[in-house]
Amino acid sequence: MNSHNHWNRRNFLKSASAATLATLASNSPREAFGNAPIDSPPALADTMIVLWMGGGMAHTETFDPKRYTPYEKGLGSDQVLSTFPAIDTCVDNIKLSEGLEKIGSVMDRGTLIRSYKAGDLGFILHSRHQFQWHTGYAPPLTVSAPHIGAWVAKVLGPNNPDVPAFIDIGQRLDVGEGEELKAFHQAGFFGSEYGPFMIPYPEDAMKRVQPPEGMAPSRFQNREKLFRKLMENSPIGEFGSSYHKESLARSMDKAHRLLNSPASKAFDLSLEPKESYEKYNTGRFGLGCLLARRLTEVGARFIEVTTEYVPFEGWDTHENGHSRLVGMKELIDGPVSQLVLDLEEKGLLDRTLIVLASEFSRDMLVEGKPDLIVKGQVEQPDVIEEEKFYGMHRHFTDAGSVLLFGGGIKKGYLHGVTAEERPCKTLEGEIRIEELHASLYTSMGISPMHKFEIEQRPFYATKDGKGKAVKELFG
Amino acid sequence: MMNRIRKSLPGLLVAMTLPFSAPAAAEEPQYPPSAKRAVSFEEDIEPIFRENCTKCHARGKAEGGFRIDVRDLVLIGSDSGIVVETGNSEKSYLTHVISGVDPSTKMPPQGEPLSDEQVGLIRAWIDQGLPWPTGITLGRFKEAEVKPREVIVPAAKAIHSDNPIDHLLVSYFQKNEIDFPDIVDDRRFARRAYLDSIGLLPPPDELKTFLEDDSSDKRTRLVEDLLSRDQAYAEHWITFWNDILRNDFTGTGYIDGGRKQITHWLYESLRKNKPYNQFVCELVDPVTGSEGFIKGIIWRGVTNSSQTPAMQAAQNIGQVFMGINLKCASCHDSFISNWTLEDSYALAGVFSDEALEIHRCDTGTGEHAPIKFLYEELGTIDATLPKAEREEELAHILTDEQNGRFARTIVNRLWARLLGHGLIEPNDEMDREPWDQDILDWLAQDLVDHDYDLRRTLKNILSSKAYQLPSTSWDGQNDEEFIFQGPVVKRMTAEQFRDALCALTDYWPGDLGTDLKIANVIDGETKTRSWMLKRDPFTVAMGRPNRDQINSQRSPYATTLQALELTNGSTLADLLKQGAGRLVSDHGESPEELIHYLFFYGLGREPEQEEVTLISEMMGESLSSESVEDILWGIAMLPEFQLIY
Repeated sequence: MNSHNHWNRRNFLKSASAATLATLASNSPREAFGNAPIDSPPALADTMIVLWMGGGMAHTETFDPKRYTPYEKGLGSDQVLSTFPAIDTCVDNIKLSEGLEKIGSVMDRGTLIRSYKAGDLGFILHSRHQFQWHTGYAPPLTVSAPHIGAWVAKVLGPNNPDVPAFIDIGQRLDVGEGEELKAFHQAGFFGSEYGPFMIPYPEDAMKRVQPPEGMAPSRFQNREKLFRKLMENSPIGEFGSSYHKESLARSMDKAHRLLNSPASKAFDLSLEPKESYEKYNTGRFGLGCLLARRLTEVGARFIEVTTEYVPFEGWDTHENGHSRLVGMKELIDGPVSQLVLDLEEKGLLDRTLIVLASEFSRDMLVEGKPDLIVKGQVEQPDVIEEEKFYGMHRHFTDAGSVLLFGGGIKKGYLHGVTAEERPCKTLEGEIRIEELHASLYTSMGISPMHKFEIEQRPFYATKDGKGKAVKELFG
Repeated sequence: MMNRIRKSLPGLLVAMTLPFSAPAAAEEPQYPPSAKRAVSFEEDIEPIFRENCTKCHARGKAEGGFRIDVRDLVLIGSDSGIVVETGNSEKSYLTHVISGVDPSTKMPPQGEPLSDEQVGLIRAWIDQGLPWPTGITLGRFKEAEVKPREVIVPAAKAIHSDNPIDHLLVSYFQKNEIDFPDIVDDRRFARRAYLDSIGLLPPPDELKTFLEDDSSDKRTRLVEDLLSRDQAYAEHWITFWNDILRNDFTGTGYIDGGRKQITHWLYESLRKNKPYNQFVCELVDPVTGSEGFIKGIIWRGVTNSSQTPAMQAAQNIGQVFMGINLKCASCHDSFISNWTLEDSYALAGVFSDEALEIHRCDTGTGEHAPIKFLYEELGTIDATLPKAEREEELAHILTDEQNGRFARTIVNRLWARLLGHGLIEPNDEMDREPWDQDILDWLAQDLVDHDYDLRRTLKNILSSKAYQLPSTSWDGQNDEEFIFQGPVVKRMTAEQFRDALCALTDYWPGDLGTDLKIANVIDGETKTRSWMLKRDPFTVAMGRPNRDQINSQRSPYATTLQALELTNGSTLADLLKQGAGRLVSDHGESPEELIHYLFFYGLGREPEQEEVTLISEMMGESLSSESVEDILWGIAMLPEFQLIY
């Protein structure tokens, strides 16, 4: 149906989405209490891309630089707020940390929030905060809470029926804390139809949408043909339950349509021109951004690309914070800015909401909330004699940066103020997870009060339906 | 509990503070017309009130001072005056607000307004003098009886069966004007019985013997035979129990000792057919190996007070063994049942070393709940006893023979597993009405009368004609409207599906999630059945749940991600590839024989000539591993293979 490069989403939305949703919703939790009309805001974006900085991205080292103190032996830890100098961006009042020059050059396309305050969940643990960021609720819970991507998939349905509505790129689930990751990489009570289509290795994404390895296309077609013929012949038709049979047949149809769809080519990064590919090729995350762009072009609905959370890796710096962050910034700077530029060039940025976020921030001295002593924190000497202690190694929740592009979000806007001295906490414009999610949902045309009934009680898109979109972010 | 939180609903307060007698539109009100028929309070009015009004105007809630718990309270009216004028709906303020003609006073204040038809019914009810049968109160939610109930089984002459379920079903069918259908043929019965009792397809030789047997009691004997296979039975039913007892080999909590498997204990209990009362006693008052259930799942970090291990224990005992939802009542008095916050804490208190302070919506109240079980009439718990002894007392109260709800809850779950739809749905909400109270009560009492022998209950059901009726279709919506006409088609579970393919190819690979085999708990066969494996993308896609929460019912419907996993997932592809290799080496001599084998084992029937032709064409001259792999796939994808019909 979309042989054209520029596939007309709006027409599709009108023609197919509602129907698709209706057929998918067969075994779903009821829209809460069946009767209350949900007042959905007009959608400002058709696709949402979450760029996940797993492991805790230090705000003072990235998007909220403070006073720079270069490394030297004997440096007092209490003197260090940032280990990188600040750099100018294309927006006068926005400075970023060295190493983010390319993102700085596209800051006029988006909004920088500096006042995100992560949940107060007692011990500062990655898995708990990641769970809360992705579901809006803190674990454990009596019902299985859906991932934000599952919400988008459930409420809006696929944007293009040939592309899974919720795609998750770059996270393996068999790494450390894998079980904790699995706890929110799922559709919860919405059921697996709305769960993530996992692509841990973007360079291998094609394998997820083509015949099993080693099976030639002709054999694949023959196998399918045999199945169809056997199905036509199968006498089960006599024995009632067209419902279940149709459910099975329909799912097989959809899977095959996906595998045979022109859209499936979007998964194949080898089809990307070399020059463009290299702009993204900083590693799995960079290629994930490229894949996200390609999938956005064919009508993906929700995509998350992660730098991947593996305990003590990536942004989870417990030592060598400074040198590790040089690498992390190299990993994200090019791909993130290129994603913005490419989507803009293709005329898709306005209708795509890009969110770059992390579960919490870091600091060199403060662990958790200021003035709260937490046991088991990273050892940090008062005086730094070794370079491995030069960096942000403790978990900090009182401020954090979030980057937003497209989807009706203001351009060149800076939101929130944080303290210039330790603790570098939020002073103005505080945004909590409920408000952040409400803003994201609002951009996507989903009410923050959208609710479903599960076990006879309402379950809302934002906690207790109370999230309010932050108006200042839109414009 | 007098000082309940009063939520202020602006619309309602406005409504109730207006001078009652003079609604602006009173002179020419445009209300929907009064219904032109005699209304029934129970059928017409009560559902409307329960759906729309009782949340704020009953059960201790009295927004605007208006309560509708009983008729007299309706007549008393609100803080602002009379709300209903008996016999005159036109002049009744209630008509004004429910018609929603004035947005500032409309009722309900939020959500969808009543339909014209509903307004018409309430008007008619007012006009007809507010009929309200004695004994009905909206003050409390309907609750099911706790006590057991003896059922007199009628001697139904219309049916040739010695199974009381069938005699009761005759009455049910008569009531619903349904002719008792003919039961299904042998092969379909066998396929169902094998999958439902031991989770495996009938092996060809056994199926053949069964089909050739012409004795009249062969179905009952088959059921008895299957249920007596201790290991196979345990290996099938352990999945059901793992799901509802939250037992898994990996998952949250294990990372730092915040969770404990009960696998060995569970397997042994099932294998030995431990009486269900003892089984539950050992979960509630743990023995070696069963501690994990009460221990719960402890996430690292601070936990919401409604999710402490003691509260988890209360919630899980309520849900799993009693079909009671205490989750809502763990934060505040429930809006959907009569359970209060205090009730939940009273039960949780059993499992706490210290007195639990009641927290309302995560805020401490300074109050403590006296320790007790939900139904005090079943017995009391001495709060001064140490925890272990309190647990023992609770275990005895819970499993007391007078706790009919305890037996009903499990027999209903078993019925639902075997017949695709419970006598009560959802299985976790045992205050709902069963579609047949007699069958439920009889099964429950029979379980109690026979030493809580679950396999006996299974035999009762499996050998009934009810179980052997042709299958039916049900879309899972509007359970209240369900009428039983035969088993509802089920989908194989992830475990059944995988086991079926492994059995078909006699290839049993996998990454063990539990060490039962190593620990020699399992004797005899050493096949790696699917329940033993760690969750992997394949079984997850096929519906194996994350067991961080209780999963009492898996979704029977197929999803696209499942189909994708079936179409190009590496786990299944590998299984088929290796399995096909084995089939070729076992049956390579005769392609024809292989086709028959696959159909007879996989689908429980001989292939039609057309099917043989189709497959032979695909196979070509000689058997190749690839073509067998593809044929295997084609058969495995068939609804006829994946459904239990």
